[in-house]
Amino acid sequence: MNNKSATSIVVWDLPTRVFHWLLVISFSTAWITSENDMFLYAHVYAGYLFFSLLMFRLLWGIVGSRYAQFRSFAHNWNSVTDYLKGLLNGTAERHVGHNPAGGWAIFAMLVLGLLTALSGFVVFGGEEGHGPLKYLVGFNIGNEAKDFHEVFAMGMLLMVFLHLGGVIVESVFHKENLVLAMLTGHKEGQSDSSGVKAYRQLGVILLLVAFGSAVYYFRGYVIESPDQPFKPFSSPALTDDPTWRKECGDCHLAFHPSLLPTRSWLLMMQQQDKHFGDDLALDPDVASHITKFLVDNAAEHGITEPSQKISRSIPADQILLRITESPYWKNKHSDEHIDPAYWKSKKIGSKANCAACHLDADTGWFEDSGMRLPKL
Amino acid sequence: MNLRTKILVGFSLIFTATLTNAAVVDDLLKEYTSLGASKFSAANGEQMWKKDFPDTEEPGKVRNCSTCHGKDLRASGKHAKTGKVIDAIAPSANKDRLTDPKFIEKWFLRNCKWVVNRECTAQEKGDFLVFLRDK
Repeated sequence: MNNKSATSIVVWDLPTRVFHWLLVISFSTAWITSENDMFLYAHVYAGYLFFSLLMFRLLWGIVGSRYAQFRSFAHNWNSVTDYLKGLLNGTAERHVGHNPAGGWAIFAMLVLGLLTALSGFVVFGGEEGHGPLKYLVGFNIGNEAKDFHEVFAMGMLLMVFLHLGGVIVESVFHKENLVLAMLTGHKEGQSDSSGVKAYRQLGVILLLVAFGSAVYYFRGYVIESPDQPFKPFSSPALTDDPTWRKECGDCHLAFHPSLLPTRSWLLMMQQQDKHFGDDLALDPDVASHITKFLVDNAAEHGITEPSQKISRSIPADQILLRITESPYWKNKHSDEHIDPAYWKSKKIGSKANCAACHLDADTGWFEDSGMRLPKL
Repeated sequence: MNLRTKILVGFSLIFTATLTNAAVVDDLLKEYTSLGASKFSAANGEQMWKKDFPDTEEPGKVRNCSTCHGKDLRASGKHAKTGKVIDAIAPSANKDRLTDPKFIEKWFLRNCKWVVNRECTAQEKGDFLVFLRDK
């Protein structure tokens, strides 16, 4: 403390504090939900919240209260090195707002956060066919962007740890609890005049908007019933055909044509008298109608993630008749992803019983978050 | 529509359905007769329904109609390989049964080949239809 008549002043206004802690929650949620494709719906919400918070912060960095303003912590690089040296020799000056090193960490996190969110939109639009960029980004770009998305997120996490380290070091060095300050907004200052307005109403509005949007976004899980489970991401219907659905769906799920390449469907229909041990005995006109539908909508023309990934995973010189033999399918259903106990369960019965876990199997979409493993 | 008309319409619908159902089976029986079959027997049909045949893929195991259709004709069954639910086969439990001759022939062909390992004869098919139509 450099002043004996120090008094408690507001340094972090409420919107800044709400931003900070919601950013912590949204980033952690996004990090955890990235573990499994099944959580994509929640991951996307966390991403939207994260991005919206950053947008707000950019605005608040210009029009917000004193210590929230970018210019209050846009220190030059020399002051950063001076500050860090000062920590080592014990002369580092205390800052009411961000110290120079801390300020740089904030800027780095804002930039990495934005890059993470934006690359996330590219993956979401390209690979999954959803989100603001779904019409702008093709599958390939979305697929490529995934690596960038991960690298940016790791960079962000690294900055988070540096930031936490900095908070601990400074808290110890200047003997003040910075974590508590980010909760209460208060720090020791020289006089009342150096404090800022708390902007309580705006802070409360931010909290309410975040809470309300979460309730709205996840309402499907609240109002669902066992017969009608919530299917996240309403996707446009893929091309359908009543004859195909009837004839193929009599014995098994009518596997959408986009799940196998043209060469597979042609061979399958040529061998319809030896269809996995059965003679289908389809009328020639029915068979040619179905063949046409299968070929017209085969994986090569698919717009869904599985259609692209399954067909790309099959070597060009192979003609597979089972979706479950494709390298992509095998990888996604390997022991690493799916507990082998599920395959032995009577509820699932067969690897061809997609609908046991994929709620939207009959639509052909196989949304990541449309998966739910039944209780064994 | 008042109640009486509703009942009337309801009954005539059921009646028509039964008629079509009967007509479909009768036409098929006529066709089987023209192919040399005669004196269709529900008892033989029932015997066929219950008979076990060796599984061509797994030695030691057997296949029969109920492998997929279940033991109860009036309850739904399950496809032996894919697990897909198969609606009840008895016309009294499933009004769509025995209404489409093409459908009947298609499934006789597929299922006889799978269970009996050959196509069924006209006599066998007729016996089975006579057995099934009253179920």
